[in-house]
Amino acid sequence: MLSQTIINGLLLGGLYATASIGFSMVWGVMGVINLAHGGFIMIGAYVSYWAFSHFGLDPFFAIPLSMAVLFVLGYFLQAVFVNRVMRTSLLLSLILTFGIDMILINIVVLVFSSDFRSVNTGYSGSSLQIAGTLVPYVRLATFVFALALASAFYLFLRRTRAGQAILATALDKEIARLMAINPNRVYALTFAFGAALAGAAGALASMLFPISPSMGKEFIGAVFVITVLGGIGSIEGCVLAGLLYGLVQAFTSLVLGVNYQNVVAFAVFLTILILRPRGLLGQRFFGEIS
Amino acid sequence: MSFLARGASAGAKRTLLTGSLVLLLLIAAPFAVSNYWLRVLTNILMFATIAQGLNIIVGYTGYHAFGNSVFFGLGAYATGVGMALGLPFVLALVLAVVVAVIAAVVFGWPVLRLSGHYFAIATVALNMAMLEIIINVGGITGGAAGLALPLSPLGPDTLYKIIYFLMLTVMVGATGFILWLDGTRFGYALRALRDSEAGAEVMGINTTAVKITAWALSGSFTALAGGIWAYWFTFIEPGSAFDINVSIKGYVMMLMGGMGTVFGPLIGAAFLELLATLVWGKFLKIHLLILGLLIVLVVTFMPRGLLYYLKSWAAVRGRRDSTDVSA
Repeated sequence: MLSQTIINGLLLGGLYATASIGFSMVWGVMGVINLAHGGFIMIGAYVSYWAFSHFGLDPFFAIPLSMAVLFVLGYFLQAVFVNRVMRTSLLLSLILTFGIDMILINIVVLVFSSDFRSVNTGYSGSSLQIAGTLVPYVRLATFVFALALASAFYLFLRRTRAGQAILATALDKEIARLMAINPNRVYALTFAFGAALAGAAGALASMLFPISPSMGKEFIGAVFVITVLGGIGSIEGCVLAGLLYGLVQAFTSLVLGVNYQNVVAFAVFLTILILRPRGLLGQRFFGEIS
Repeated sequence: MSFLARGASAGAKRTLLTGSLVLLLLIAAPFAVSNYWLRVLTNILMFATIAQGLNIIVGYTGYHAFGNSVFFGLGAYATGVGMALGLPFVLALVLAVVVAVIAAVVFGWPVLRLSGHYFAIATVALNMAMLEIIINVGGITGGAAGLALPLSPLGPDTLYKIIYFLMLTVMVGATGFILWLDGTRFGYALRALRDSEAGAEVMGINTTAVKITAWALSGSFTALAGGIWAYWFTFIEPGSAFDINVSIKGYVMMLMGGMGTVFGPLIGAAFLELLATLVWGKFLKIHLLILGLLIVLVVTFMPRGLLYYLKSWAAVRGRRDSTDVSA
């Protein structure tokens, strides 16, 4: 029972970690809290569902498609709306992205209706048994994919010029500009990559959760907690906090019951905010917003 | 010349005149309009109160309390539970204010130490946590199943008029309070805090006490709106009482009208709620879409609020008039 709880928590935590990275980067680099992130995850899941139900495409192969769709959407939204608002007040970006989220949800309701959908592959039900602990294949695979994506993004930031430009802008926008980095392009790129990662998380989530237009709302709470817990703008932090969050959720439902999962999550969140606002692995300069 | 340039006293006189005219119209309205429009007007007054509540903590104090709906829900539940325990409606409203003040002090003490984004999100988390707590507590709150308030012995016609006048009273109270705030020591302390917290502290302002007082006042007005709303709908459930959209909508209204101004939030509330009502009736399927688009457009193109653009438009027009006269 104990090992099963730990496995369940960790496997789910990996997905939560990937769902949070894009949000955390956008917050850390741009200082924008993107409330449409839940909507991005939801659209990623619908892209995967659409590809599966129309072309029988395996959800794992739908990941690049979801990522591409959201990359374009993210780039567009940043270039047209978010960039304008960032020049006036960062806090307004919260309201702006909330409005964008409403629009995304309504469009999906119009296209797909608000019925619950699901993706059931041939291997959905089967699982691996190790020493009395059940490890469903789908969950194991999503876990591996989620962590692989997180690592890939980590390497992208540290090994490529574009990634270095993003990090430099996060550290000091003015100096980055002196180094011939165009902050507007970096912001659009960051927002697009954040959205793409949300899309990938959505495609992975489409195999584990019922798909509905409001599914993003369930994610955004977890994403917030994980981002703040891990430290804003830190990928390692997201992974660590995601796994921890999964464990906390699993143990809460074991000890107190499923109803208390959110209460405990929000209690953890408020405690972290008050005691250690920079999170577990948060660094100076990242996410310091005036 | 524009009324702005003529000096504050003339501007204030005109504002007072317009204000009392609108107030007279609002007092007469329930006897002249249909039940449908009475409901729409009551809704506008409710959101105007919520927007003014936000104005105190956001517009004047500079703390962006996106989750102020927590007070709306607490007010609704305090009223509901109070009446279930046998309190008369008016005393239940007093209870709502007491609960809001206690919540603002207990949660405000740690949460108001956060600033910027962090405070905004912490209030949202507080709202969500309260929602979950009400669901899990159950018992007299009714839990997830919701809570039915005792029905009024008055007929619906009389009751809805009374509800309307209560909302009007609270809205006028909130606006009057902000008008008073504009010229008092406390109001200056709030604005000093908004512009520079460290600076305010140097000037000898007890920032913690001032912040908590401002949030308690903001919460009290919001809780009153929630309490009256609960009796108006006679049935409340956690999801609708602690609906985050309530405070987001109030925030957009405040923004639309102009935050930190006395009458801006009222204009924003009337404008957005009328628009939403018209849209709601005509395009049921895309009302979320249109509300979202409105939010995006307001935030992107007029973040300083309608009042600001109206004033600058009036000023430009006034200048043109005066040059015409001199020419």
